[in-house]
Amino acid sequence: MKEHGQLMEIWGDTVDRRHLAWSIAIGAVIALAGFLVARVLLRQVVENQAMAASYAMLVGLAGCIVAGVICAKLFAPKRVIVEEGEDPSWRESAMNELATDTGGLGRLADLPPAVIAELKDVGLYDTFAEHEKRAALADASPSTPVAGRPAAAAH
Amino acid sequence: MESLLPDILVAFGMGLLGAIVFAGIGLVSGTDETTTLAPLTLIVVLMGVPAAGVFTFFLAGAVAKHMTHAIPTALLGIPGDTLAVPLMQDATRMRNLGVPHIALRKMISGAIIAAFVAVPVSVLFAVLLAPFRESIVASAPWVFLAAALFIAWFSPGRWSSVMLLVPFVALIIALQAGTGRFGVKLGISYFLGIAIGPLVADLFASISPLEKKRMMRSEPRRFSLAPDVKGWKGYFPNPLKVLDRKQTGWTIATATISSATFVFSPVAMTVLMGEVVGSRIKHAYHRMTTVLAARNGVTEATYIAEALIPLIAFGLPLSPVAAGPAAPLFNAPPRFTVDAATGQVNNLHNLLSHWEFLWYGLLAVALAALVSYPFAMNFAHRAASFVSKKLSHEAIIATFVGLILVISVWEGGVLGFLVVLTVGLVGGLLNRIFGFGTGVQFMGYYTAVLTMPAVFKMMGV
Repeated sequence: MKEHGQLMEIWGDTVDRRHLAWSIAIGAVIALAGFLVARVLLRQVVENQAMAASYAMLVGLAGCIVAGVICAKLFAPKRVIVEEGEDPSWRESAMNELATDTGGLGRLADLPPAVIAELKDVGLYDTFAEHEKRAALADASPSTPVAGRPAAAAH
Repeated sequence: MESLLPDILVAFGMGLLGAIVFAGIGLVSGTDETTTLAPLTLIVVLMGVPAAGVFTFFLAGAVAKHMTHAIPTALLGIPGDTLAVPLMQDATRMRNLGVPHIALRKMISGAIIAAFVAVPVSVLFAVLLAPFRESIVASAPWVFLAAALFIAWFSPGRWSSVMLLVPFVALIIALQAGTGRFGVKLGISYFLGIAIGPLVADLFASISPLEKKRMMRSEPRRFSLAPDVKGWKGYFPNPLKVLDRKQTGWTIATATISSATFVFSPVAMTVLMGEVVGSRIKHAYHRMTTVLAARNGVTEATYIAEALIPLIAFGLPLSPVAAGPAAPLFNAPPRFTVDAATGQVNNLHNLLSHWEFLWYGLLAVALAALVSYPFAMNFAHRAASFVSKKLSHEAIIATFVGLILVISVWEGGVLGFLVVLTVGLVGGLLNRIFGFGTGVQFMGYYTAVLTMPAVFKMMGV
């Protein structure tokens, strides 16, 4: 049942090749048949031939949507959706990325009260405060990274 | 003629229709503006809908789609369309911090404010540029050539795109001569071919044993859908309360600036404006949220300006958006036509006054805001979940295959389909291999149709 031998990436997402072939056939046949049949019928009813063709095009487009709905019913998406919970490690790595960005984390003291309130609201105030403290401590002892450098680099 | 009241009603109805249809399309990530907005607007034009209705349909559709495409960008971590790419980094970080809903709210609130700014600013700039219309139109063939070269150089392909204009223009001329032998003159099929090119190229590649290997996948794509938390009461949140004052200020400022630079690519402006704003905000959280609001505002404003300014001021499609997604507003034969040789323009430019552009523009934005904004704020999570779990990519492709067939056969029978197939395949491959983007290809089409006759005449060929 779970065989993925026919999966392929087309136009930005994964499809099953056999399902895709069927979908193309279904889309082509329903839309084109809808358009051509409607054009023949409407040309007999509507006086203005150009308008008859335009209305037939609308029928054809309705056919496209019908084909889309049929294919959506027949073929399930080839996607795995994971409903995310909170993952503290992501938060941590995002904070580290922000700290190394141009501009750095910045200081909460610089923020207007409205933004402070927003940060507290979304539950990120403490995270930023803690990382700010850590960054300040790291700044206070700048000797460690220099001392850690291999001696050979100095020559 | 007709009284004014029905026109307003038509404008209202078509705007509402555009907003609802495109709010839905925006949820399907990867649906490019050009592949969806252009064909549907074209149909509206050809159906004979009054000018005001065509205009509100297009604009409300563009704004509504832009709003809902922020949902996959923020919650699924995949760009809603090409315009959303510059926002991905900050959106992903907000997601990792556990606050994707805040990213979404900042983005769409920036967009809605920018849209309301962009319409009057665009009309104003268009009015300022209007006195130059005579000289621009008189030298239209050369203006298009210059615009094509300019847009090519700013595309991902740089110099290769500039060079590729030559064979691409030659291909268009050859195809036109070919269909001309059967007395068939095509326009829309070229646009459709260019817009749908990447799909056509991928479909051909998928049946070649050589390319197949590269495209096969061992397992389905994985998406992680972030949770959504509602942070206000009621149905319609106030965008001015979602953004703080500084954010609103930056959004308005950058939207105004980017509205003026209508010949540049929206993506380039978005990146640039984001850098400008980001460098001026000290705190990381405030920087991310402000940049998200401003950047999404800039994509919105640039988009609107690129469509409106050339339309109102010149009636000629002189920007990447005007030549692509908004093309049917300029050129939809037999109803709308552009003839560079005589400088004759017959499209929305002639059919609506400056004031009508302003009021119908604001109406369209208001309708899009009314439909899309509360929808995106309230139902983002459910909508993203539904689309990603129920709507297979096969179904989307089936719909587009039908669309290509119906429109091309409607325009030119078998020849129409051959043109879509050829232009789509060549354009799609050039795009993929050289970075010869769809915007450049649209300009290439105009160069072939508008510039080359003048070149041939000058050179006595």
